[in-house]
Amino acid sequence: MTPSRRTDGLSAGRPAQGGGRLSRRHFALALPSALLVSGCAAPHRGTGRPGDPVVLTLLSHYASGELKEALRGPVDEWNATHDRVKVRTKAVEFTDLLTTFMVRQAAGQGADILHPYCLWNGQLVRAGVLRPAPAGHAEEIRRGYSAAAVGAASVGGRVYGYPTEVQTYALYYNKRLLRAAGVDGPPRTWRELEETAYRTTRRDRYGNTLVQGFGLSTYDDSTTVGQTLALLNAAGGTFVSADGRSTAIDSPAGRAVFDLEHRLVARGASSPGVNVYRAFPSGQVAMVISAGWWTGSLKTLMGGDYRDVGVAPLPLPEAGGARATLCTGFMLGVNTASAHPREAWEFLRWLNAERTGGEKGAVATRMSALQVSVGSLTGRADDMRTLLGAGAGNGGAGDPNLRPFLDALAYAVPEPNMPGAQQAKSLLRKNIEALWTGRRSVEEALRVTRRQVDQEVARAW
Amino acid sequence: MSRRRFPWLSSLVVATGAVLTVVPFLDMVMTSFKGPGESGTLPYRFLPQAFDLSNYRAAVRQLDLPVLFRNSVVATALITGSVLLTSSLAGYALAKLRFPGRDFVFRLVLSTMMFPPFLFFIPHFLILVHWPLAGGNDLSGRGGAGLTVSIAALAVPFLVNGFGIFLTRQFMVAIPDEVLEAARIDGAGEFAVWWRIVVPQTKPVLVTLGLLTFVDAWNEYIWALLVSTANPDVMTLPVGIQLLQDHVDPARTMPIVMAGLVLSILPVLLLFLLLQKYYIRGVMLSGLK
Amino acid sequence: MVNALVPETAERTPRARAVRPAVDGRIRHRRRQTVVAYLFLAPVLLFFAVFLILPLGFALLLSTSHWSGFALGDIEPAGLDNFTGLFADGSTFLTPILTNTLLFALGTVALALTGSVLVATCIDKLRFQGLWRTLYFLPIVTTVVAVGNVWKYMYEPGGLVNGVLNAVGIGSVAFLADPDTALPSVVVVQAWASLGSAVLVLTAGLKSIPESYYEAAALDGAGAATVFRRITLPLLRPSLLFVCVTQFLTGLQSFALISVMTRGGPGDATNVAALEMYRLAFGYGDWGTASAAAFVLFVVVLAVTLAQLWWFRRKGEEA
Repeated sequence: MTPSRRTDGLSAGRPAQGGGRLSRRHFALALPSALLVSGCAAPHRGTGRPGDPVVLTLLSHYASGELKEALRGPVDEWNATHDRVKVRTKAVEFTDLLTTFMVRQAAGQGADILHPYCLWNGQLVRAGVLRPAPAGHAEEIRRGYSAAAVGAASVGGRVYGYPTEVQTYALYYNKRLLRAAGVDGPPRTWRELEETAYRTTRRDRYGNTLVQGFGLSTYDDSTTVGQTLALLNAAGGTFVSADGRSTAIDSPAGRAVFDLEHRLVARGASSPGVNVYRAFPSGQVAMVISAGWWTGSLKTLMGGDYRDVGVAPLPLPEAGGARATLCTGFMLGVNTASAHPREAWEFLRWLNAERTGGEKGAVATRMSALQVSVGSLTGRADDMRTLLGAGAGNGGAGDPNLRPFLDALAYAVPEPNMPGAQQAKSLLRKNIEALWTGRRSVEEALRVTRRQVDQEVARAW
Repeated sequence: MSRRRFPWLSSLVVATGAVLTVVPFLDMVMTSFKGPGESGTLPYRFLPQAFDLSNYRAAVRQLDLPVLFRNSVVATALITGSVLLTSSLAGYALAKLRFPGRDFVFRLVLSTMMFPPFLFFIPHFLILVHWPLAGGNDLSGRGGAGLTVSIAALAVPFLVNGFGIFLTRQFMVAIPDEVLEAARIDGAGEFAVWWRIVVPQTKPVLVTLGLLTFVDAWNEYIWALLVSTANPDVMTLPVGIQLLQDHVDPARTMPIVMAGLVLSILPVLLLFLLLQKYYIRGVMLSGLK
Repeated sequence: MVNALVPETAERTPRARAVRPAVDGRIRHRRRQTVVAYLFLAPVLLFFAVFLILPLGFALLLSTSHWSGFALGDIEPAGLDNFTGLFADGSTFLTPILTNTLLFALGTVALALTGSVLVATCIDKLRFQGLWRTLYFLPIVTTVVAVGNVWKYMYEPGGLVNGVLNAVGIGSVAFLADPDTALPSVVVVQAWASLGSAVLVLTAGLKSIPESYYEAAALDGAGAATVFRRITLPLLRPSLLFVCVTQFLTGLQSFALISVMTRGGPGDATNVAALEMYRLAFGYGDWGTASAAAFVLFVVVLAVTLAQLWWFRRKGEEA
């Protein structure tokens, strides 16, 4: 709090009387025009009168539940302590987020601050939606976050925003089911993974699956593709080439992953039709690859049974190889169309980079505290250690299952985010689902994926 | 005669079809009364355990009903009013006035019915966005949000309807020229002739057209979805209910959505039942064009 | 309004001046009527200029341009790249999207046509025709959001359809989740929703068939099947053509129902061209390819419509 801001606060607080008179006159003026445009306020420009605060809009998918509440905390704090710049949050569901960014941008009603899934950064940068981070902020981001998080928030080597929620992928397993099948610990290699999967699979006498050894999610793009890309990265492969203009999945590593998944399905250890996000918590799946956010949901869903859940780093094809897994995430960036970029970046720095003492005295950024409070992580490894180490009982803090996700920050590979990345991801999803349902062989699935994704990402724009 | 054979078989076919048509509506109503844990569970039960209004209360609470209703009503009124006005004006000119270029304009009107709406989706949206001097735009249509800030955006692409012009014209052709001529000799201007004689004489077809337009406008979804994505302030009822599913308690999602749907289709359903004679005639007319 | 008039009047002036004064009164009357006519037409013509001609030109421009941004100045010419891209190796536009579109339309027409012919010929023999028609009409006045959600819910494992299947001892079917059954499942809904208007049009068509034809056939001792094939069907042809053409048109271009029920999934199993166009434009900002897809679909719609007109006309000449 600088003195000047405090004075602003005083002067802003005083003219309540005048404001009342003003607003009545304005009401009289506004009524006909409101009827004319039927009560639709001009988009996010604020009032534009000198002396009035700048209003920044922030559009995210934190639309409901604990995420909405978690974001409200710091935003309320900012608004209570800053008189010159106010932040107003808007939210839509994640499934509508990209379309909402694009449509509102097309309509000249884009929010000042956007919270995109990093996968879309290439598309949003190409469309001229995102503003590159100013040098000072870019420097701060590069220094403060893990390489994967910075990579996900960058396009063509340029940083576009502050990474927020970061998800790494690891292996969830049910300790009870593994013990019951006589397996001591989580698998470390793919061979062990397969053996464990077959040994834990259980059926009734009619052939119905009671326990899947290894669950494969077909729930949505992110979970379906996430598990496959995590395995691909662990095998040393990547989805697209470094320049983002062609696929790299039709490789020995890609083949190995497709082969592995195909075998698991063919031998009955995986039943992709079953919703693993319901089956795992009810003890019907022994192992599944998923991201860190799931620990929070599992805790709520499973209650006391959560003690059966273990998390291990992603198994590697061979023992002793270099660890790797997938990293996905979101970032907060500033709209090129924003009239107040300086204020927007200022707010983002305050939210993401300024450290404060939390309730339990752990010093961390507001965003790190926010994410940990909902059982998630940010790309700030130091913050994560502090917050998780503090062992606070709220949310995800103190859960040993978060450790593997935290450790993975150091070696995880960012999800490719070239233009067309979302389309490429959907195409990959359709092909691996075709592989799992037996509509395509491994060879065919690899070939078709390569053809379709190449056509998509190589398009001249 | 042979038309009257197998009456029981005919009754059976028609009744089966009618049941299949009505059952989804009944299922919607029944589901809207089901409590938590009653819907989507096995075994399926048609009737709710109790006729509980809590889903309706939840729907009303979750949806900003006054705003959604207002937007739907304003958009529908704009569209219906404009279609009636422009159709009867243009229909009169094409039916009863002689002027060079009449055939060309008539053919233009007919040809507009040939272009499918999806072709106009993208350009209509961009035209509204770049509407000069609206929503902060400058004269060249840049810099602001254009007409997308206004409820009018919901209605604009539907304000004129080629079929409406065609329909009213066909009816106006049948009005005897002598009647109009007599009025003109009495000193009535063309506007007075149109308003005092032609419009009253074509009232039935205007009611029919109005009803067809009203129902279509009230039920419109895709364009309203696009415009509401750009500006949630102008969201209509169908869009609001579709988006409702995303953020209500999943265990009760469907019952609440069904309650919202029942509320949203009631106005049209009542209007249809009251005026179905006109509506059905409109559909028949469109079939005979 | 005034602007639209200016060219017309300006154009007329020289000719009007050349006319002899004797017929001046009539000419003036004609001229006045022209002005009035264009005044009456002004709103409509203005609308067509701004919302028909301009957008068509704009869409054509976009379909031959690269434009991934939002500033109008960034539109760059691209020739036919967008069109070739749609049909390039690896593109999903032809298969499965365009094939889905055709299957969806074809399935809807087949179901709705059979159903409506059956129901219409049966209704024709019954009393309370108005009541029946009203019932069949309910889906038509209902928003697609209601139709889509009600059926989506009925198709779910705990929904009505599976409830009935289970009651007669058949296992549950994952109608919308299984790529094999998803498209047929939405076809059924689209046909269900459009049955009412088809029944109505066909009933009107049946009423226009003179009773004397049936009486003559009865005297000749023709059976019900023969009567239907030889008299009802041929004389119903105009109505059938209308139902066929309009249902095909709707089927080829409608995606509201699919967007409500499946969003094109699972995978691309129910993805259709118009939905893909919407997604390309408003989800991915690929206005060029989206516009190209719209024109391709437009050509398909035209071709299918013309083919039906031609086929029905040829059948008519044969008969």
